[in-house]
Amino acid sequence: MLKVANLTKEFARGDRKVVALAGVSFALGAGQFASVVGKSGSGKSTLLSLLGALDKPTAGRIEVDGQEITAVRDRALATYRRAKIGFVFQGYNLVPNLTALQNVMLPMELAGASRRERRRRAVELLDQVELDGAKQDRRPGRLSGGEEQRVAIARALANRPKVVLADEPTGNLDSQTGKRIVDLLRGLATSEQATILVVTHDMAIAGRTDVTFRLKDGRLVA
Amino acid sequence: MLQPRAAGRELRGFLERSYPPLTVERHRVGMSVLGRGVRNAFRNGIRTFSIVVILSLSIAMALAMLLARDAVGERIASVEGSIGNLITISPAGFRGLQGGGEPLVEADLVALASTPHVVGLTMALQDRLTTADTNLQSAIDPGTLGRRILGGQGGQGGQGGQGSGGNPGGQGGFATPFGPAGPAAGGAAGAGQGGFVLPVTVLGTTDPTGLQALGGGRVQVQDGALFDAGADDHVAVVGARLAEKNGLAVGATFTAYGATLTVSGIITAGNAFTDSAAIVPLHTLQRLTGQPGAVTSATVQIDSIKNVEAAHAAIAGKLGGGADVVSQQDTSQQALEPLNNIRSVSAFSLTGAVVAGAAIIFLTMLMIVRERRREIAVLKAIGAPSGKVVSQFVAEAVTFAGMAAAVGLVGGILAGNPVTRLLINSNEPSPAVPTAGAGPLAGIRQAGRVVGQLPNQAAGLNFDTIRASVGWDLVGYGLLAALVIAVAGSVIPSYFITKVRPAEVLRGE
Repeated sequence: MLKVANLTKEFARGDRKVVALAGVSFALGAGQFASVVGKSGSGKSTLLSLLGALDKPTAGRIEVDGQEITAVRDRALATYRRAKIGFVFQGYNLVPNLTALQNVMLPMELAGASRRERRRRAVELLDQVELDGAKQDRRPGRLSGGEEQRVAIARALANRPKVVLADEPTGNLDSQTGKRIVDLLRGLATSEQATILVVTHDMAIAGRTDVTFRLKDGRLVA
Repeated sequence: MLQPRAAGRELRGFLERSYPPLTVERHRVGMSVLGRGVRNAFRNGIRTFSIVVILSLSIAMALAMLLARDAVGERIASVEGSIGNLITISPAGFRGLQGGGEPLVEADLVALASTPHVVGLTMALQDRLTTADTNLQSAIDPGTLGRRILGGQGGQGGQGGQGSGGNPGGQGGFATPFGPAGPAAGGAAGAGQGGFVLPVTVLGTTDPTGLQALGGGRVQVQDGALFDAGADDHVAVVGARLAEKNGLAVGATFTAYGATLTVSGIITAGNAFTDSAAIVPLHTLQRLTGQPGAVTSATVQIDSIKNVEAAHAAIAGKLGGGADVVSQQDTSQQALEPLNNIRSVSAFSLTGAVVAGAAIIFLTMLMIVRERRREIAVLKAIGAPSGKVVSQFVAEAVTFAGMAAAVGLVGGILAGNPVTRLLINSNEPSPAVPTAGAGPLAGIRQAGRVVGQLPNQAAGLNFDTIRASVGWDLVGYGLLAALVIAVAGSVIPSYFITKVRPAEVLRGE
């Protein structure tokens, strides 16, 4: 489902060349729940950017659902992200003036789903992440952090992506809520048959995933 | 029999069975890109209010300036078609029965009708009736001026000097260039300074409503009717003062050149000279004075002041050196100068207001784009193409501009006339400076004296009558201005939107 081979990303910082990722390779299957751990600056967010087609690698290959995304042209990347990738961010990043339901419907609207289908799927997902009916019509400002993150997860799954990339999804949550979110992601990986890759620095969370990759100075270590 | 409470339960049950409770849709439905843009415009109430207020002022100013510009523009077009578009023609060396030369030939003048841009022609023949020619008595007291100008020429004074123009041997001394070869009363009839009376001015014309040859003025019929100017009848309209002096009423008769003329009407033109004259059809006077085809003055009307110069040259070319051809173009252009100034000022202000509006939207959208940079990155990260994100923000800008247009439209309509008045007043000279050329409007007032005798000309020069008129087209212009402001103000912010990289959403996480 997700194959990464010799992924390298270099930045120019003044006269200096910074190697953010150096020859990273791994593979994950459908429905697998994985984590990437590492210290700050180890290259976790860079890896996530490249896997989510938010940025281009300097070298290497990324294959999602059999499609080589490093070869996809810039104009088609938005379509690719819409169809194949779901994002969950540490800060949730919900659109503040849309309700929880509308936030979940947003990616489907971009994908061209009918209004009826969008609403049906959004309600289904919000029910699945256990956000009760009354709260589905609330704006993010009137939801707790855990509820916002559940909405963000529902939004990430809206277009039935093959890969869900979560960047520190429990970073802003208390440990109890964070544990519930991880359990939710694990359950969704199975029910939605999506490959979920969580970037975290919390070993407790990493310990609850199927596979854990450790990043250090841009390289995977054992 | 059912008890009231039981009846109520029964009824409620029936209604619930018949009309099941309406199931309110569980959730508010989603929205489109444009819908989100519109909704986003209300995310920050105070900011939205401020933007709409400022932008509406800009739009109101633009519309007020547009109204002022249109109002002034209409007046300019009207003035150009009615003032300063006259060309006067007189025999070379002759003006107002002074000077000399040969009369104009009616056939030559009629031929001018084919000249491009000529839309009207009035011809007149002027003469004086002495006591030898008429039983009328002049209604004008000679005074110092009359004695100096006419009495001096007559040498002997007295009205006997009037009629002997054709007789070089006449004793009268005063010689009218087109005087009939009537009896040369000469100065014999005169009785020196004490018995001096002025002759009666008589005008033969093709247009009794426009008496430029007598100094103009708005001709008003006090009694009776005007005659058919194309006819050759023994009819006349007489000025009110002349009628009063001679006890003439409609239907009365008087004698002139040995003929009896019937008064068809009594007129007033608001000045003593015209009101002391007798007006007859041109051909009648030509026949009575034995001057067939002779004309002493003509006025040619041109379709617009813009074409006066060309028409003037053509007419002067056709008539040659035997005629003085004078246009009022310069005077009228001077008269139009303040109006043109107002039009220019309002056009600049209109452009400035629209640019200011676009700048307001530009700065607002720039601020909003910077503020929502992360949100833009999120939208792109979840698969929104840049075009859709840009559309959403442009829709937001259009919403701001649309709301401002609605408010600004009302403001513009209310401010239209006051702003127009303000612009006009700012172009008027101080009333304390009465001299000609003392201010931009002095030219107009000066022009008003020169050419303002025609009623439409007087109206054209009256700035108080300029009014901004509001039509549906203004609503269209208001909305168009809003759209232009919104789109123009969104161009650069939209560029910044396209440059936001979705990877930014992960920064600082």
